Amino acid sequence: MGRVMAEDAFEAVVGAHHAEIRRYLLRITARASDADDLSQETFLRAFRAYRALPEGANVRAWLFAIATNLGRNHFRAQSRRRRAYAAVAQEMPVGAPAHADGQVMADEARVRIERVIDGLPGKQRLAFVMRKMHDLEYAEIGASLHCSEESARAHVFQALRKIRRGLDGHLAVGTESHS
Amino acid sequence: MNRLPADCREIEPYLLAVAGGEGDRQAARRVEGHVATCRSCREELRHYRAVDGLVHALRVAPLRGDDATLAHAQLTTRLADLRSRMVSFGIFPSPLGPLLIGRSDQGVALVRYLPPSGALSAQLRAQLGADAIEDPTATEALWAELVEYLEGRRARLDWPLDLRRMRSDFQRRVLEATAALPYGGVTSYAGIAARIGAPAAGRAVAQALRWNPLPIVIPCHRVIGSTGALVGYAGKRVELKQRLLAVEGVKAVAAHHEFRVRREAMYTLMAGEREYCVPTCGSLSSQPLSVLTLFGTRERAEAAGFTPCSSCRPDLHPLPA
Repeated sequence: MGRVMAEDAFEAVVGAHHAEIRRYLLRITARASDADDLSQETFLRAFRAYRALPEGANVRAWLFAIATNLGRNHFRAQSRRRRAYAAVAQEMPVGAPAHADGQVMADEARVRIERVIDGLPGKQRLAFVMRKMHDLEYAEIGASLHCSEESARAHVFQALRKIRRGLDGHLAVGTESHS
Repeated sequence: MNRLPADCREIEPYLLAVAGGEGDRQAARRVEGHVATCRSCREELRHYRAVDGLVHALRVAPLRGDDATLAHAQLTTRLADLRSRMVSFGIFPSPLGPLLIGRSDQGVALVRYLPPSGALSAQLRAQLGADAIEDPTATEALWAELVEYLEGRRARLDWPLDLRRMRSDFQRRVLEATAALPYGGVTSYAGIAARIGAPAAGRAVAQALRWNPLPIVIPCHRVIGSTGALVGYAGKRVELKQRLLAVEGVKAVAAHHEFRVRREAMYTLMAGEREYCVPTCGSLSSQPLSVLTLFGTRERAEAAGFTPCSSCRPDLHPLPA
């Protein structure tokens, strides 16, 4: 029966995407317990709606859209707590890299970039994380944030400008040598 | 940025794209051409490339708390729970009007006669639960079998049933005893009460069958009043009961605003016996309906596994058709 097939297929969806969706939620909430709750909720919602999803739909982008919606609702509900938390987070970054991997990242630059990202307005931050941490297409980010592809790109670029400004003087760029 | 010359303002988005590895070849060439002659944009490009390097390092660095094991295990449990509670239903036409068929992953959970409009009442929606999904594909195979059944082309519905919506253990026992009634055989409410070892509970049996979540599938239409009157069905729709019984070869004749099964026209089986009789055999006619099962035809009695009585010989002396 169709239903049984849909269920098997959904098992595969969970297997393929749960870890990444949770990682995305961890990046945007900075709390493992929130990432646990919201990632579960994302997939429970997805399960209820899965059969209505058109064939050939991009399941991954659709899951990001659900997670993004839940994340934004969560931020609205938690905004007060979050503001109080942000003050603590400045001294004690949670969700920060446990250690730098590959390329060595100066501690100061790392703390700064995280602080700037954390301080970005909601849509810019979400768009930035979706694009730069998870490689989503601008059209998919637009669908998640209920805006156009162009707006999604503008959010990401605006985030980049703020990061660049926030890191001014902390970027490891040598000055040009003159000939 | 407002102080930048127009060319630099124009190139800036391309510069961001190229630094982030996003620009196409044309954008790359444009940026290349511009920074070859513009020192401040060259600086900007270097800065944005450095930002991109930091972003990349952030991306590949292990995240604190990045362990999905617990969330995954909890999700698996919650999905299993949701699945088992979730009903998928379809609404289909049938010879008896629109029918709703609902199933969970445990089995068929609900069959309901709908008004001709096919509308769902608030009470029915509540019964389906908040997570119910209208998904005809989940139940259309069941519907096809049900239509065969209603047209007399199928005598069994071997469906897995989800009986978790039972109101009580008593109701479960009533429905199980009712489900055991053979195709084409009828008994009384008191007969079901006797079968579950509660002979005085005829009224409670009728009440339990009133809330049968699976009419047709659990054949409560085979349970009638002790006088042979069909009594109630699906609210006040006794005519449905009469039609279901007619499909199974049980005739109920209309008399005084009711339908009645005439015992004298039915082959009769005594509880505990393996042989069926004509209704006048021995003392059968003085027995209460509760200890009997009545069949409209010999074929039905024999299909249910019973053999003709060796003294009244219904095979040699059948009832007038």
